[in-house]
Amino acid sequence: MTHLISKAEKAKMQNPFIQFFKFVWLNIKIIGIVGHGHGGTRK
Amino acid sequence: MTKIVVLGAGISGHTAASHLRRKLSKKHEVLVVSPNSNYQWIPSNIWVGIGRMNREDTVFPLEPLYKRKGIGFIQAKVVTFHPEGDSDEEMPFVMVEYTSGDKKGRQGKVTYDFLINATGPKLAFDMTEGLLPGTNKAYSVCTYDHAEHAWAGLKALIEKLKSSDERAKILIGTGHPKATCQGAAFEYILNVEKELVRYGVRNKVDITWLSNEYLLGDFGMDGMLLTYGKEVMKSSEMVEMVFTDRNIRWIAGAGITKVEEGKAHYENLAGEYKTEEFDFAMLIPAFSGHGFKAYDKGNKDITEKLFKGFMVVDADYTPRPYEEWTVQDWPETYQNPSYPNIFAPGIAFAPPHSISKPRKSKNGTDIFPSPPRTGMPSGITAKLVADNIIDSVKHGKISLHHKGSMGNMGAACIASAGYGAFQGNGISMTTFPIVPDYKKYSKTGGRDIQKTFGDIGLAGHWVKLSLHYAFLYKAKMKPFWWLIPE
Repeated sequence: MTHLISKAEKAKMQNPFIQFFKFVWLNIKIIGIVGHGHGGTRK
Repeated sequence: MTKIVVLGAGISGHTAASHLRRKLSKKHEVLVVSPNSNYQWIPSNIWVGIGRMNREDTVFPLEPLYKRKGIGFIQAKVVTFHPEGDSDEEMPFVMVEYTSGDKKGRQGKVTYDFLINATGPKLAFDMTEGLLPGTNKAYSVCTYDHAEHAWAGLKALIEKLKSSDERAKILIGTGHPKATCQGAAFEYILNVEKELVRYGVRNKVDITWLSNEYLLGDFGMDGMLLTYGKEVMKSSEMVEMVFTDRNIRWIAGAGITKVEEGKAHYENLAGEYKTEEFDFAMLIPAFSGHGFKAYDKGNKDITEKLFKGFMVVDADYTPRPYEEWTVQDWPETYQNPSYPNIFAPGIAFAPPHSISKPRKSKNGTDIFPSPPRTGMPSGITAKLVADNIIDSVKHGKISLHHKGSMGNMGAACIASAGYGAFQGNGISMTTFPIVPDYKKYSKTGGRDIQKTFGDIGLAGHWVKLSLHYAFLYKAKMKPFWWLIPE
């Protein structure tokens, strides 16, 4: 069954105050994942 | 003195050239050969395609920057590769054809000690009959010219709808059964939908997504299992949720074979031949290699040593069934096995196979996405190639210390879902690794679930906009540009 985005979720998605903190969290999380380094997979 | 030639000045080529110049002393030459005079930040083309950005916001001329930074620049396209030189030239070289200025149309040899092939893909519109941007209401956003053209077509449709009671159909997705870059089409469809709302004509338009993905949210990466808030969901469920919310209809597992005026003919995995009508379409073409030829010292054709469509690198190209694919098949250093001074980062390297599971229609037509190597992987692989060349120059022998397999590399896809400081929206997704490692992460679809997540909201738009400014700052090599990761 398809998940639906509720009105409450939508309000949160567009709330600038909540989204400002989300913006900071996203940047930290993204840099942590993609900037964490990379390497080979073979021995 | 070492001469490093970089073919191409896109995300990959420009990244490599910038790092080489920063880390190598001026006695070494860095020379970029590109048929284009501008650098373009391609991820923002979707905003040019909805009229929210101008082309000037996404491009800048390369030559003045390169002149200032001590990087050589030739505006030309490569024609043939001669990795052993020829009877007249001892050094390896590429034959180039100049694309501007007094020498336009003339050919010349460009010798090198190291060669970085970052020529990216050929936008193979010719692989789909009738798919030529702007000729039959079908457009592209793959270049800034295409995106401008797409906006002109969309704008005309919006104006028509505003002044009439007519309804319209918009079709967005992939224009070939094996196209890649679904992410760009995904962003564009959501941005177009948002703009139609803004112009007050959304209720007059039926919007359809048509893609070669077996399931929504495949993105050429075999889909992913991700955390979304406190839930764990499939990327297919996440995209389905967004499309349902935006009232966007979808057709998956479909390969467009022909485009006519307002009509897209496609075949689906069930083997049915169908037609979808449209008043405006944006269809991503197939990406192919450029069809380069290579010759040895005696002028014998050695193309197969360098190319399998794209450039041959340190991948395992042994044909195997999907069930036997491993992350170890993917390249780590992007070095050509026959010529150790040639590298191909970004889209220019030949992948060992797709990432998504290959599927055929009942008629035997391959319908599945090709693997994406755009954006972040392009930049990361270009930097590691540059770092290996820098080490090789400094140590006087080939060094391959820096490695970066897409099977051990994270990526972020910040998909714009609507433009606007407070009305905007973005879908942020990260995945680790890009190529799923089904052995290491056997219970979570080949991905580290802690590092593979999705989020929807205004913050995603701000992130995408921040990346636009940050990466253009970085590309312009402004102070401390190198602190910004690829």
